[in-house]
Amino acid sequence: MSSRRSSRGNISEDEINELISKLQALLPSSRRRGSGQASTTKLLKETCSYIKSLHREVDDLSDRLSDLMSTMDSNSPGAEIIRSILRS
Amino acid sequence: MARCQGTVGSLCQGLLDLDDDKFGAMCSAFGYLQEWPDLGAMCGASLGATPGAVAPSAGDGNDDSSCNGSGGLKKRGPDACLDAKGDGNDMSKRPRGKQQQQLCGLVEVAAPGKGKQERPKAGTKKKAEAASTAAAAGQKTDYIHVRARRGQATDSHSLAERVRRERISERMRYLQELVPGCSKVTGKAGMLDEIINYVQSLQKQVEFLSMKIAASNPVVSFDIVEDLFGRQLKQACSPAALPAMALPAGQLEPTGLQMSPLQQVHPSAAAGSNGFGLDMVVNNLYPSAAASCPVSAATPVMAAGGPSIEPCLNVNGAAAAAWDIGSQNLFGGFDAQFQSVESDCLLDNLKMEM
Repeated sequence: MSSRRSSRGNISEDEINELISKLQALLPSSRRRGSGQASTTKLLKETCSYIKSLHREVDDLSDRLSDLMSTMDSNSPGAEIIRSILRS
Repeated sequence: MARCQGTVGSLCQGLLDLDDDKFGAMCSAFGYLQEWPDLGAMCGASLGATPGAVAPSAGDGNDDSSCNGSGGLKKRGPDACLDAKGDGNDMSKRPRGKQQQQLCGLVEVAAPGKGKQERPKAGTKKKAEAASTAAAAGQKTDYIHVRARRGQATDSHSLAERVRRERISERMRYLQELVPGCSKVTGKAGMLDEIINYVQSLQKQVEFLSMKIAASNPVVSFDIVEDLFGRQLKQACSPAALPAMALPAGQLEPTGLQMSPLQQVHPSAAAGSNGFGLDMVVNNLYPSAAASCPVSAATPVMAAGGPSIEPCLNVNGAAAAAWDIGSQNLFGGFDAQFQSVESDCLLDNLKMEM
C-alpha cells in the first residue's frame, strides 16, 4: 500500500480508487450493502463471480432466444415483430 | 487501545504454560486486535500445523533466522509466492530463538512490568547469543511464543500487506482472463476501466437479450403453447391468486399464454412469492400490448386481452402511469423478476423508475 507503482506514472491512487468505487457501483451485492467500502480483494472477487454469472445469463438467454427463433420462423407475423425488435 | 493493551498484557502473563494450541489461539486473537485478520488466521493455522517443526529448532538453528529478523521478511520480493505456512514457520522459529526481549520491546507499553525496553532488533541480536543457551527453558519457550506473535505483529504490516497485494494481483490476473482484451491493457487503471466497460456491456447484453425474449415469448406462445394452455393457465393463476381470476376465461387467455413460457423456464420464480407472481403478469402484459399495437392483425386475442386486464393492473397497485414507461424499462423489469438474485441492480432500476 505504501508505494503503489503503476506502469503509468501519472495514474494516481485517487484515480484508482475512483475506478474501484465505480466498479463497486456496478456490482449488485455491493450496491445492496450500501456505501460501505469493501476491501479491494473482496471487490475483485465479487467482480469475478458477477462476470461469470453474467456470462451464464447471457448464454442462457441466447439459448432461449435461439430456441424461440428456430421454432417460429414460419410464423410470419411473429417473426415480423421479432425482426423489427432485433433490428432496432 | 487501552483494552487492546490490557489484553496483550494478560496474554503475556498467561504465556508461561502456553502450548501450541493456545499459542495459535492467541495469535488469532492478537491478529484480530491488531486488525490484521489475515495474519491472525495465517498465524494460527501455521502454528497449529507445525508445532513439531518449530520445537526442535529451538537451539542453534534459530540464530540464522533471528539474524534475518524482520529485515529478511521485508527483503522478500513480491513475486515470491507467499506461502502462509512457510512464513508461519519462519516466524515461529525466529521468535523462539530470539526469546522474550523482542516481545517485551514490542509489548512494553502493554506490559511494562516485563521491564525490557530494547527494541526488537536489538533484542534479536542479543537473542542470537542467548539462543544457544536457551534451548531448555520452559519460560523462554513461552516467551518465545509471545514473541512470535510479537514478531509477527511487527512484520505483519508488511506481511499482511504482501498477502493482500498478492491476492489482489491474483484476482486481477483472473479478471484479465475473464475480460477479453484486458490482457493487452497494462496498468491497473486501464484494467479496471476495461473491466468496468465489460461489466456494463454484459449488463446491457443481458437486458437486451431478455427484452428480445420477452418480446418473442407471447408471439411464440400462440404457436407452441396452445396445447399446453389449459394446464399452464391453472398453474399461472393459482399461485398468485390474481384478481384476473375473476375475469372470464376468454379474457384470461392472454395472461395464461404469457405466463406459460415463463413458467417453463423459471418455475422457481413463479413459485416464489405472490408478489413476484403478480409482477410477472403485470410486467409481461406490457410487452404484449406494445407488440400488439404495430401488428394488430397478428394478435387479436391480445388486443382484446390488453384492455380487459388493465383494471386488474390498477387493482394490483401498478399505477396506470406505468403505461407511460418505455417498453424497454418494462422488459428490464421483467428480466429482473427472474434474475432477482443476480440482477438486483436491474430490480433496483425498475423500482426507481416505478
